[in-house]
Amino acid sequence: MSAASDQLALVKGTLDVLVLKALSWGPMHGFEITTWLEDNSGGALDVDDSALYHALHRMEERRLIAAEWGVTENNRRARYYGVTSAGRAHLRAETARWLRYSEMVSGILTAASRTAAAR
Amino acid sequence: MLPSRARRFFRLAIHRPALTEQDVDAEIAFHLEARVAQLVARGMSPDAARSEAQRRFGNVELARHTLTSGAARRETRMELREFIGNVAQDFRYAARGMRKNPGFTAAVVLTLALGTGANATMFGVVDRLLLQPPAYLRSPDEVHRVYLTANGDNFGTMIGTNQSYRRYQDLIQHARSASEIAAHYQTEFVFGSGEAAHEERTGLVTASFWPLFGVQPALGRFFTSAEDQLPQGTPVAVLGYGYWQSHFGGARDVLGKPIRIGRSDYTIIGVAPRGFNGISLRSVAAFVPITAGGADIFAEMGIGDRWRESYRVGWLQTLVRRKPNVSVEAASADFTNAYRLSLEAQRPTEPPGRVPGPDSLRARAELASIIEDRGPRRSQEATVAVWLVGVSVLVLLMACANVANLLVARAIRRRREIAVRLAVGVSRGRLLTQLLAESTLLAIVGGAVGVLIAQWGGGLLRGLLLPDVEWTAAALDPRVIIVTVLLALAAGLITGLAPMRQLARTDVVSDLRTGGRGASLSGSRMRRALLVLQGAISVVLLIGAGLFVRSFHNVRSLDLGFQPEHVIVAELSARGTSIDSARRIEIMDRLRERSLTVPGVQHAAHTLTIPFGIEWNQYLRVPGIDTASLRDLFYINPVGPGYFETMGTPLIRGRQIADGDRTGGLPVAVLSQAAARRIWPSEDPLGKCVKLETDGPCYIVVGISGDIRAGFNEGPGRHVYVASAQVPAPDSRLFIRTRGEAATQTEAVRRALQEVVPGFAYVSTRTLEGIVAPEMRSWRLGATMFTIFGVLALVVAAIGLYSVVAYDVSQRTRELGVRVALGANAKAVVGLVVGEGVRVVLVGLALGTAVALSLASRVSPLLYQVSAKDPVTYAGVVGVLLVVAIVASLAPALRAARVDPNVALRAD
Repeated sequence: MSAASDQLALVKGTLDVLVLKALSWGPMHGFEITTWLEDNSGGALDVDDSALYHALHRMEERRLIAAEWGVTENNRRARYYGVTSAGRAHLRAETARWLRYSEMVSGILTAASRTAAAR
Repeated sequence: MLPSRARRFFRLAIHRPALTEQDVDAEIAFHLEARVAQLVARGMSPDAARSEAQRRFGNVELARHTLTSGAARRETRMELREFIGNVAQDFRYAARGMRKNPGFTAAVVLTLALGTGANATMFGVVDRLLLQPPAYLRSPDEVHRVYLTANGDNFGTMIGTNQSYRRYQDLIQHARSASEIAAHYQTEFVFGSGEAAHEERTGLVTASFWPLFGVQPALGRFFTSAEDQLPQGTPVAVLGYGYWQSHFGGARDVLGKPIRIGRSDYTIIGVAPRGFNGISLRSVAAFVPITAGGADIFAEMGIGDRWRESYRVGWLQTLVRRKPNVSVEAASADFTNAYRLSLEAQRPTEPPGRVPGPDSLRARAELASIIEDRGPRRSQEATVAVWLVGVSVLVLLMACANVANLLVARAIRRRREIAVRLAVGVSRGRLLTQLLAESTLLAIVGGAVGVLIAQWGGGLLRGLLLPDVEWTAAALDPRVIIVTVLLALAAGLITGLAPMRQLARTDVVSDLRTGGRGASLSGSRMRRALLVLQGAISVVLLIGAGLFVRSFHNVRSLDLGFQPEHVIVAELSARGTSIDSARRIEIMDRLRERSLTVPGVQHAAHTLTIPFGIEWNQYLRVPGIDTASLRDLFYINPVGPGYFETMGTPLIRGRQIADGDRTGGLPVAVLSQAAARRIWPSEDPLGKCVKLETDGPCYIVVGISGDIRAGFNEGPGRHVYVASAQVPAPDSRLFIRTRGEAATQTEAVRRALQEVVPGFAYVSTRTLEGIVAPEMRSWRLGATMFTIFGVLALVVAAIGLYSVVAYDVSQRTRELGVRVALGANAKAVVGLVVGEGVRVVLVGLALGTAVALSLASRVSPLLYQVSAKDPVTYAGVVGVLLVVAIVASLAPALRAARVDPNVALRAD
């Protein structure tokens, strides 16, 4: 079973909110975010690293996150991202919206399968 | 899984670190490295790990490119935001600083306002006179006034700008380089009739005038060449817009209505657009064809129909529009050729030998600017205006110097603050922009106040300089505002440079230590230089003012022998009604009687000639005296009773012309003292007689009057007054003496007199002063303007001197405290401070005096009986400035004298 076939392509627009969630745990650099996403999705998430950096820079521009150069435990220079208060607000709003959305979609889809199962 | 690391407090940073290509590369490299490490840790080989890391990343090159350019764009945007934020912050800070120092702010704003306001005002005037072409003129650069010159001694042809109609026709015939040629004349005509009659400016133009301009009528149409034909044009008129509004209420049914202009009725066929005045600066009430209005003008003058044929009746200004591809030089040459051909055509019409050939005349046509004051016949007002622009630029420079001084002084005062900020890490660039913001804000506020001054002062100046000109734009012309703003910004820049230069050499350490107390030698050198400059400029302007004031005073106090400021000249214009001489004399008598009933009128008398204006002079024949020895011209004037009281000329001996001196009675004359002395130097003139013609009566001398000057540069005139009843003078006029200023009563008197004249006749009144002293106007103007600007300069210089001395004193409180502690008394301290202030001013005085002396030769033609190096004026100005310098230094000096040495020595 190859991990590739099990991976879910990302629904457009959700990468931002996932990154914000990751950063809500604290400042991370780009690789840590990637790792965190991979770990927390159980390896099912397939996202190009370059896409991640695009998302990061975009959100930085919109002041949802802020970036500063820092130093890792290995004394390597890395760019750390952290969530801003605007970002936290955006995260809360988007999370609520996503949950409503998925509830609605799941509701419709599970109802259809119930019909299928009933037949 | 959250590796620990240094946590930072993230907030919305105002200043972000730059995201360069290296940053992006570093970030990507780090990511790939970390990924490789992770994969290797999971058991991959390094090579496999590297390629897997690349694969997972996606397109590295593309990512790098997009991220960098995106970063660059963001960076620019953030920098711009930051820059604007900084500038806004600078201005806020500057505004706060201004509020905290109201005295300083007021001084600077006032100074700059005066400087920029004066310049904006002068710009408005110069713009109107020299820069703005006539309204509605299509492509003004193609349009010219034609000046024909011919240098001849005994040659009677009009020279310069007044051309005859015949000449105009010749030019049309021979010139090739013009697409349109038109002729223009402007005069006052009497409009309306009876009591509603009033004089209005009228333009007499050829039909080609309208296509030359390329203008469209606001109502109706313009007249065509069919209506402008010799011998008599059609009596049609185009109204000026303003006149249409004021006298016809802007009614649209005005077309076809008659209007009385001069001697005839004209039919209104159109209205010119708003603001159109032809080539005149003044507002024109109506335009009529030249061939229609010309008859009116010349009938009154007794020239009759000759104006159509004769080359010698010069009155028109010729205007041409050059063909587009012809240069000005080529067109001038073409017109010179046409002029010469015209002169050739003129020769057969004159007596032989009267007209020299065109070559010996050096006949030449010049195509000059359509704006009259830029051509060879520039008006007095334009010359004065140009001088005044120079003066106001000087004043602005002075104001800038002053403000620069004040700003430098303040920068020095703030040395400690600046040193602290530099030590803390603010960049010098940032501080410089801050200083620039301060001076710019001051300049903008100063400029705004300057605009207000320009508005107010502009009205004043226009009334003084150009009272008749129509100002189409309000004083707040957008161009004036733009110029003021530019000037203010320039001033801000210039004055900001001074403290910036001061700042550039700030030594942080020493400033922190001394707390801004130490005297900075270089700074004070610059300030002193600025003060010297101001002093010099003030001197030059005040000397100019003094010279002009003295000229004007000389003119005014000149004893003319009569008093023009109390005399009104009333003239009767028959306007086509035929009035024979007897009737006319009767009407003049009636006018005299009526004028005496007007309140404010003291005397009235008939007269033929007007001093400085219209004169009759001839040789006399005196029985018993050889005519060869009496080769002098005498002024003859037939006058009525009361003449001398009206003029304010004293009667020295005998009696004056009386009612009893009538036709058939004894012929009498009154001579002026100079005349009597000339004829009979050692005998009693009373009882003797003089003849005007060999065969005429001998007029017996019955009185001697005081002398009257005939011109400003002439001595007492030799006048012979005869009785107007005995020497018929049908064109006589009326002099009326009023109690107060004649100028205020001309209209009232005119209306009273108009009541007693018949039909379409018209009475016009003007002041004798206006005839006698138009030259006085330029002297009065020069005196007023230079005085205003001189005082302005003085005020600015005084403010500057005061601030510099005050600043100096505040810097030296410690030193002065030491002096007092060592035994100096108050007087010595005051003397010290004032002495230093005066010393600086003296250098400026010397410089300014030298400059004034060097300009003396250029100014002397404008003066009257005053030398351009007049020592009284120079001494006076120097004295005034020294007094001002002492006073300006006195206040801070007195403050310095009261310094408590304990306080001074202790304070830090």
